Amino acid sequence: MSVISVFHLSKYYQIHQKEPGITGSIKSLFSRKYETVKAVNDISFKINEGELVGFIGPNGAGKTTTLKCLSGLLYPTKGEIRVLGFNPYNRKPEFLKSISLVMGQKNQLWWDLPSIDTFLLNKEIYAVPDGEYNKVLDELSRLLDVKKILKTPVKKLSLGQRMKMELIASLIHSPKVLFLDEPTIGLDVVMQKNLREFIKEYNMRFKATIVLTSHYMGDVEELCRRVIIINFGKIVFDGQLSSLVTKYAPYKKIKVLFKEYVDPKKVDILGKIDKFEYPLLILKVPNEKINSVSSNILKNFNVEDITIEDPEVEDVIAQVYTEKRK
Amino acid sequence: MRKYFLIAKNTWDETLTYRVSFIMWRVRNTIQLLTIYFLWLVVLSGNKTILGYDQPAMLTYILGTSLLDAIVLSSRSYAVGEEINSGNLMNFLLRPINYFKYWLAKDVGDKAMNVVFSLIEISLIFIILKPPLFFQTNLFYIFLFIFSAFLAFFIYFFINFLLGLVGFWSPEIWAPRFIFITILGFFSGSLFPLDILPKAIFSILKFLPFTYLLYFPLKIYLGQLAFSEVLQGLIISSLWVFGMYYLVKIVWKKGLKTYAAYGK
Amino acid sequence: MTTMVSQNAFASRFGAILFIIGKLIRFSFFMFFLLVITSRTQAIVGYTIWEVILFYITFNLVDSLAQFFLREVYRFRSYVIRGDFDYFLTKPMPVLFRLLFGGSDALDIPILLLSIIFIFISFTHLSSITFLSILIYFALLINGLIIALSFHIFVLSIGILTSEVDNTLWLYRDLTQMGRFPVDIYQNPLRSIITFVIPVGIMVTFPAKAAIGLLSPNLILISIFVSITLLYLNLKFWNFSLKRYSSASS
Repeated sequence: MSVISVFHLSKYYQIHQKEPGITGSIKSLFSRKYETVKAVNDISFKINEGELVGFIGPNGAGKTTTLKCLSGLLYPTKGEIRVLGFNPYNRKPEFLKSISLVMGQKNQLWWDLPSIDTFLLNKEIYAVPDGEYNKVLDELSRLLDVKKILKTPVKKLSLGQRMKMELIASLIHSPKVLFLDEPTIGLDVVMQKNLREFIKEYNMRFKATIVLTSHYMGDVEELCRRVIIINFGKIVFDGQLSSLVTKYAPYKKIKVLFKEYVDPKKVDILGKIDKFEYPLLILKVPNEKINSVSSNILKNFNVEDITIEDPEVEDVIAQVYTEKRK
Repeated sequence: MRKYFLIAKNTWDETLTYRVSFIMWRVRNTIQLLTIYFLWLVVLSGNKTILGYDQPAMLTYILGTSLLDAIVLSSRSYAVGEEINSGNLMNFLLRPINYFKYWLAKDVGDKAMNVVFSLIEISLIFIILKPPLFFQTNLFYIFLFIFSAFLAFFIYFFINFLLGLVGFWSPEIWAPRFIFITILGFFSGSLFPLDILPKAIFSILKFLPFTYLLYFPLKIYLGQLAFSEVLQGLIISSLWVFGMYYLVKIVWKKGLKTYAAYGK
Repeated sequence: MTTMVSQNAFASRFGAILFIIGKLIRFSFFMFFLLVITSRTQAIVGYTIWEVILFYITFNLVDSLAQFFLREVYRFRSYVIRGDFDYFLTKPMPVLFRLLFGGSDALDIPILLLSIIFIFISFTHLSSITFLSILIYFALLINGLIIALSFHIFVLSIGILTSEVDNTLWLYRDLTQMGRFPVDIYQNPLRSIITFVIPVGIMVTFPAKAAIGLLSPNLILISIFVSITLLYLNLKFWNFSLKRYSSASS
């Protein structure tokens, strides 16, 4: 059963073109020229119940636009969207009660008041029964470790604490579908880790379907088995994270730490050099040659340490972007 | 219903967190009120009258506008424009809540706080300065006064909201509001009753919404209008309420369309 | 680069024009209001229409001049919060001078010019005007500006101690707006308070009174004494608060 299905979704913006200079501004008063920007250009995908999908792409690729279409904020130029059987744009109360969109930079908390006041208000807005509310709030505030600061005015909270409170406010009605737009933006490393663990936990415990955009690879690597990569408004990859790596990066990295000085010329013949700064050498080696190359190194050099690593997802994705542009 | 009560209560609590600023704002209001109060006190001293206003009627009018100001003109919905511009509007579109009622509830919270303070101020003025005041005893006029204030409340709410909706099309939301407030400060009638203006000007004002915000309700309270004039005024202000309501609805729909087309 | 700058000015100029228009509307509405009440009642506390206008214009001129020259005071809070104030302190220029006169607001110029024109028009309508009384008028106007300056120093000092500027500044604005009418309209003890204690009267009512010929030499001397004392005390207060300044920026 797919919770979200998107058929040939396109979203175009009309951008007002202005000639430079004052004469241009005056001219634009009378005749406006528009340029069409295809923020999202004919994409289709399906997401099943309970999936945790990472939506990634460079800035301006169309991630947030897609998320906004899915949650019903933007009206699609073309195509059709179904979320939980609803057309999101109608924003029916029953639909709104079963989704939530969290944006890293937007806030719904009442700035001057304790977070608990926003939660209580949301409880009423979403008509959550008392028992249910107490249970969910208790569980969420325990998972996020914020029990002690529920009564602290929001303006006195740190950025990370505020983000946690935003999440609770967005989850108090136990949405079946959760859209997270850059949830870890601006947070420190420890906080990022905490949030990721929470999202994972929430996904498992509440069987919620989660779509997450981020440009921190760490978020995606740790959380999502499936990724959708979007660039220039088009989907360039949709599938398992592991198959992404084998498809776009059929190589591994061999890291060698030499014991004694080696002649750079001798190193050259080993294969493609990623980095060589004595005593460290990093080689990019095709999967099928890993064995031969590593045994070759061990045989011919005096080696302190040797490790074989998968390529970093970040590099792989950068490769996906550049490859598709060609 | 309870959600809107909570919104009003939160707004009230929010004001309390800015106690010092809020009290200063009320002090400033009182200083301005006293300026006008003393002006009219001397202008109409010694049984002088101006177009049918004697001293008690005029002072009642001036203190009355101050209370009505708290009921009708205190409002938070100027922030609508900022919310549209900052994109924070999204948070409301994605929750099962009515954005109009949300702001109406916020305004009620804000007004409640202002009314409490206004009542204290006017009582203090009454105790300290012992002004001669006019007390309306006819319940019918009092009822009509309350009803017309109720209409005024909505007229102002819709105008304010409409000015906020400018944000859908322009980031310049502050300048039109500045002009509006300047005109409002003069034509709402908080400095003087509008009928002391030359007849030609007043007969135009009769058809504009400003007249019905403070001047008209107080004029009813003072019992200075014939029944036909009251009826005419109530009809015009009701027309403004409904006219503005539909205008706001249309503009809101159009705005949402551009919002949904472009995003922010 | 230059085109970019003028582009920006073009975009915000729309707002600036509306702002100036708003100020002009307020000015003319108020003049109209004065005209209406004086025409209906012959006179306000014995003053004729042109005398009432002179009181209002004098208030307006002092108010606009203070805003024009002392606009930086309005930005003081953000300077403290952003840490710019710490930077000013390290500069060889006297920091008080920088905070008071560091920036001016061109948007006040139209109102300023209009006020000056109206002052001379109302002079021609005063029956007892002499060259000497005009001279005293302008001397007392400068005296009034010194009082306005002292107020602003006071606001800054409070700002250093409490990092609160807006409320005191607005309170100052509202107290001075009581001077839109001659202070004679207020009952005692309020009249004495706003004449001598919070010397709005000396600041804006006295110059106009002098021009009309209603101010005794004694009161002129008292006015000068009050303004100099105020300036002296507020400079003391400024030095006092500067010593207690704890850099609040982060």
